[in-house]
Amino acid sequence: MKTENNDSIVISVCTGTGGVASGGYKVIDAFKEELAKINCTAKIGPRTHKVGCRGFCAKDVLVDVEVNGEIETYQHVTEEKARKIVASHILDKEPVKKWMVKEDYHNFNDKQQKLVLADCGKINPESIDEYIAQNGYKNVKKAMSMGPENIIETIKKAGLRGRGGGGFPAGIKWESCRNASGNPKYVLCNADEGDPGAFMDRSIVEGHPHLMIEGMIIGAIAIGSTEGYVYIRAEYPLAVDRLRLALDQAREHNFLGKNIFGSDLSFDIKIILGAGAFVCGESTALMTSIEDNPGEPRPKYVHTTDKGLWGKPSNLNNVETWANVPIIIEKGADWYSSIGTEKSKGTKIFSLVGKINNTGLVEVPMGIKLREIIYDIGGGIPKKKAFKAVQTGGPSGGCLPASYLDKPVDYESLYEAGSMMGSGGMVVLDEDTCMVDVSKYFLDFCKDEGCGQCTPCREGVAQMVRVLEEITEGKGTLEHLDLLEELAAMIQDTSLCALGTSAPNPVLSTLQYFREEYEAHVVDKKCPAGICKALTIFTIDEDLCTGCTVCARNCPADAITGAKKEPHFINQDKCTTCRVCYDSCKFGAVKKG
Amino acid sequence: MTDIINLTINGKQIKAPAGMTVLEAAQKEEIYIPTLCHHKSLDPEGTCRLCIVEVSGSIRDSIRVSCIQEVKEGLVVETDTKRINNNRKLILELLLGRAPEAQSLIKLAAKYGVTKSRFLTGESNDCILCGRCVRVCRDKIGMHALCFVNRGPQRKLTTDFERLSEYCIGCGACTNVCPTGAIRMEDKGDQRKIFTWDQVTAKFTLERCTHCGKPFAPKRYLELINQKVYIPKGLEYVDYVCPDCFSGHDKVSDRRREMALMKSTVKWSVPRG
Repeated sequence: MKTENNDSIVISVCTGTGGVASGGYKVIDAFKEELAKINCTAKIGPRTHKVGCRGFCAKDVLVDVEVNGEIETYQHVTEEKARKIVASHILDKEPVKKWMVKEDYHNFNDKQQKLVLADCGKINPESIDEYIAQNGYKNVKKAMSMGPENIIETIKKAGLRGRGGGGFPAGIKWESCRNASGNPKYVLCNADEGDPGAFMDRSIVEGHPHLMIEGMIIGAIAIGSTEGYVYIRAEYPLAVDRLRLALDQAREHNFLGKNIFGSDLSFDIKIILGAGAFVCGESTALMTSIEDNPGEPRPKYVHTTDKGLWGKPSNLNNVETWANVPIIIEKGADWYSSIGTEKSKGTKIFSLVGKINNTGLVEVPMGIKLREIIYDIGGGIPKKKAFKAVQTGGPSGGCLPASYLDKPVDYESLYEAGSMMGSGGMVVLDEDTCMVDVSKYFLDFCKDEGCGQCTPCREGVAQMVRVLEEITEGKGTLEHLDLLEELAAMIQDTSLCALGTSAPNPVLSTLQYFREEYEAHVVDKKCPAGICKALTIFTIDEDLCTGCTVCARNCPADAITGAKKEPHFINQDKCTTCRVCYDSCKFGAVKKG
Repeated sequence: MTDIINLTINGKQIKAPAGMTVLEAAQKEEIYIPTLCHHKSLDPEGTCRLCIVEVSGSIRDSIRVSCIQEVKEGLVVETDTKRINNNRKLILELLLGRAPEAQSLIKLAAKYGVTKSRFLTGESNDCILCGRCVRVCRDKIGMHALCFVNRGPQRKLTTDFERLSEYCIGCGACTNVCPTGAIRMEDKGDQRKIFTWDQVTAKFTLERCTHCGKPFAPKRYLELINQKVYIPKGLEYVDYVCPDCFSGHDKVSDRRREMALMKSTVKWSVPRG
């Protein structure tokens, strides 16, 4: 067997973390094996290559099959499907329609504007040649010809702000680092993304590490630095491997090292593996950790651009910020600043998770409405449940209610609403979420992840968690709510670092927008969402129960009795309020209260 | 010559040399700011957050810890506002929840009207995790025998691998700087023990004074002094003399007295690590 008349065949298999976890490597092998078996030839290819995350992780393994320039995308590809796709699509030229991506995939992509992620999912992250073929690293040369002042001016004019959470204008930071006295100067990249449910930076490093490296080189030229560090968590093994490989390749091409690009400039990047402490994402803690000390924030009132790593001027930005730099240099400040809102320019990557149909990584222009992200791109809430809140900004962000769905997403709007941009985690919560329980979860995270140096964060946050525990256990009073606010105000005022000052945000924002839910817990002793076990009982509505026995069969405590086709009954003495009956009843007969 | 900085603390015009902290400047003017983790001979770490003050003027309006914030031209400092005192009260109450029996803390808290804590944690020792002991051992003695382990509320003061310390020299500097007595040193006969959080973290047999025969100091301690203090040739220790016998007693030779004098003038210069 032999295929004929093919100009090009390129098969791109998603091997981001989601793709690998869903069997991406096996799918690649299956494609290669099958293509070899049929002895397929073409002028270009057949080439089966790894690509990074393209965002829609819920549909992994995603595969692009390109024959003569026409691209079809398949979802949920397995080894078996891969073999059949080769037989049908490549051999018989008949794409397998039923396995191709559906409308939701297009909806997911339509409202996105991919700048940083544009090539992620198209090029092989393990091949520098593919990036060079796409004009990769050309922007470094352009930047060199521009000169440091011009680079900084361009970044300032573009309005690029730090994507790690603070939103500090990158150009101003670079400028103060450049103007600071002291040598050497360090260019640092924060890849220590630790928010629960966040995978923006991870996906960039896994899917397109060269973009970030190129950005760091441009930054180094602008700042006048010769040494760079990437602080990346050891729990990201794939990202670490690909970053290491990318750095080696860049060194081979003389993009890093001595006299880079044949100039008289030198710059190299080292990898530092973080041991997984959330607090090491804080800039000074990250630096003490690189210095081989325990990762604890420094209490100094000195900018790290003046005295940072080893007391030298240091410029820290996160992965996404660095990855924006080559794009700005390439397309210009005016083009970049035309995207977004007045004060927030460009795009932002969010990891859209929680109770949402289209879980994944999305890149949207600043100023987009929350509703567009959640309903148009995210496809709304599963099981037609009602939207309750969205948690932005990681564990120290805030929860925004439905009334904020039509507000624009940018640094200022989120901050004014009592939340923050953070690094881009976006957790969607539906009607079955107890807001007290959610804020307890995030606060508990901050409690355990704080370094423990300063009193307000160490003792105060722990006490807030204790108060929330008492509320969810049904021991709360209205005084508990006052105490929460009292502690939160003190922690915000007096904590040593941003982890502490922002830790009370989830509690304060839920107290602001969902106070009635707290009051239901402490006054009525009821959990409206039916999550807090001590405050919930489940009963069966006799009129709605059809006696289908599903609940009784699923009940792990044997608490449900009733004959077939007769209304069932929950024995409250045995019930552990595990919710299985509530979730399994198709007739809505199980009531929580 | 150092620059003189003009600032205002509680409405009072103050001059202070550049590089001085707001806390030092306030203390110079006898303006009281409470502290716990601060110790005048140690580098400030700014962790107990009691010495917070409100600042404005030449820097952004904010709350800062005065043991770290340096004086700045035009700085306006308020040390005693309602907001500051409310925060201090709550911080003291939280610390009291951790160490309800620590006498110095009880006294300080009482000053701010805090007599009992709503936040009892059930810890059974007086440590408030201020870190003075860690800093004195690390930065002044140079041994780094004590350290903190764990994160968040699990933070704990201990020795390497929570074993009897190989680095402790038994000097007792940690017990001297501890504000609450959570670290104790106990001499019984020729045995010295150091208790951290009521656990024995270092044990020593004391060397006897070659003059009076009284046990007085661990060998590691005396060796460190020999090693660290500059002693001219011919004046090295040949035997160990206790402080009592040092102090100008007839039994002590002139050479010894000369050495004692020198010891008091020689500054400790201990490299870190």
